[in-house]
Amino acid sequence: MSNTESASMYESAKKIYPREIGGRFDKLSKLATVTLLGLYYAVPWLLWDGRQAVLFDLPERKFYLLGLTLWPQDFPYLALLLIIAALSLFFFTALAGRLWCGFACPQTVWTEAFIWMEQFTEGTRSQRMKLDKAPWSLTKFRKKASKQFLWITFSMWTGFTFVGYFTPIRELGLDIPNLSVGGWTLFWGLFYGFATYGNAGYMREQVCKYMCPYARFQSAMFDKDTLIISYDEKRGEPRGSRGRSVDRKEAGLGDCIDCQLCVQVCPTGIDIREGLQYECIACAACIDACDSIMDKMDYPRGLVRYTTEHNLHSEKTRVLRPRMFVYGTLLVILCAALVTSMSMRKPVILDVIRDRNTLYRELRNDLIENIYTIKIINQSDDARGFALSVSGVQGITLDGVEDELLVDGGGVLSLPVRVRAHRENAYGVNEIEFTVEATDDASLVIGEDSRFLGPSP
Amino acid sequence: MISEEYRGAKQWGRDKQAVFTVVWISFLSAAIATMVFFAFFDPVELGGILDEDFDISRDAGYAIGFFFFWVLCAFCSGVTAYLVRTAPRKRDGKHRRK
Repeated sequence: MSNTESASMYESAKKIYPREIGGRFDKLSKLATVTLLGLYYAVPWLLWDGRQAVLFDLPERKFYLLGLTLWPQDFPYLALLLIIAALSLFFFTALAGRLWCGFACPQTVWTEAFIWMEQFTEGTRSQRMKLDKAPWSLTKFRKKASKQFLWITFSMWTGFTFVGYFTPIRELGLDIPNLSVGGWTLFWGLFYGFATYGNAGYMREQVCKYMCPYARFQSAMFDKDTLIISYDEKRGEPRGSRGRSVDRKEAGLGDCIDCQLCVQVCPTGIDIREGLQYECIACAACIDACDSIMDKMDYPRGLVRYTTEHNLHSEKTRVLRPRMFVYGTLLVILCAALVTSMSMRKPVILDVIRDRNTLYRELRNDLIENIYTIKIINQSDDARGFALSVSGVQGITLDGVEDELLVDGGGVLSLPVRVRAHRENAYGVNEIEFTVEATDDASLVIGEDSRFLGPSP
Repeated sequence: MISEEYRGAKQWGRDKQAVFTVVWISFLSAAIATMVFFAFFDPVELGGILDEDFDISRDAGYAIGFFFFWVLCAFCSGVTAYLVRTAPRKRDGKHRRK
């Protein structure tokens, strides 16, 4: 984990020292970072009805989300939710470009936090550059060591919080001073902590440039009406330095004074004046930088600004366009599907497995018997009684099943069941249906199809 | 001209790009695969199917599953990346790499 090792791993890429810049978008990005990280670190500590509000309890195979308890059987909801998330990303990308990259991506957010710690311990951009060039001294060691201390502590806390989403965080918090953390829990905490440390401390923009698939294919969602950050070439060129008192028209210069500030603040080290580049994560730092210079020069702001390609070429920007309708409609349909299916979700699941070893048994009195394993999963928090019945073949009966089957809250009842029918009614393959009904709520009924096999006629 | 000092972003070497991309993308794929797989199968039950006396905790099962998927995905995309990059070039001149 040492500094020198990581430095040598990335020697072919020159280190980028993003310069700090105040401004509108800087404030926005700080706000986003604080909010998102705040949520990340705080959410596992929230309680709901006396238990952790958000807990993906992997050891118990149950997900708690506020008042909702989800089971592995509810996986389709999760899948639907992920599809909705992906589609929203497409929608917002088409509308407003890489807002995600610049303000919400964990990579950006954690990198931002790590850069704050870097600034706090090592100083401003030029101080950092000087420090890295300087030979080792006590001061340099002190600064580097305190940065590492902050980074590592923060990473460990991040890893701890991450595991806290999967194992109850309060118990975990007590386990740490007692040194009784489970092996795997410890492993994943360190794993995630180390990944944060490497990604946000060292790899930073390289992740966006080389490793992120979204960064590459987002251009497929772009069109000429997508909000991008762009340099107004018509207004800026020909660029050149000049004194404040120089009349730029007389000197034959554009508005760009070629101060390089937009390049210095760029976390991915590009020059926005060279046009739209896939390295640009749309963090808007260059807008803040350029605006501050325009203010100083008494030029109007917005030489670098949020705009669209149509706008840059003095054409009209259309927000409502077919692409938006397609993404939008799909989103609405999927959201509606999610809400409907969630609201129709019943707090009980019935699973029927036919015994695979025997097709059927012939009993006395011309009765045919099939064997099944019934699983009743009670997803509500309280114990509940259920009545099991079967239908589909005339005179079909359950043998030896109690009238009321009691299932604990959040429990599973696994029950071998013998089903019988008269030979005359059960030749060949018969479709049957098992039904469970909650004894305390007649509207809570759920059925599951199966087959009843009999001899050939 | 932009001075070299400000132009931070030099390219990563092609090998490094390939290695890191393979590791990262297979990591993401393995995460998805693990999620889907263990939504349908419980490691404890799976262990029981393999061998009645085979006791495995869920934690260990998830971890083994994840690393299995990670190695598998990394192998798959690693070999793909290798083959794509070392493929013989076309000789008709039309599609020659620059």
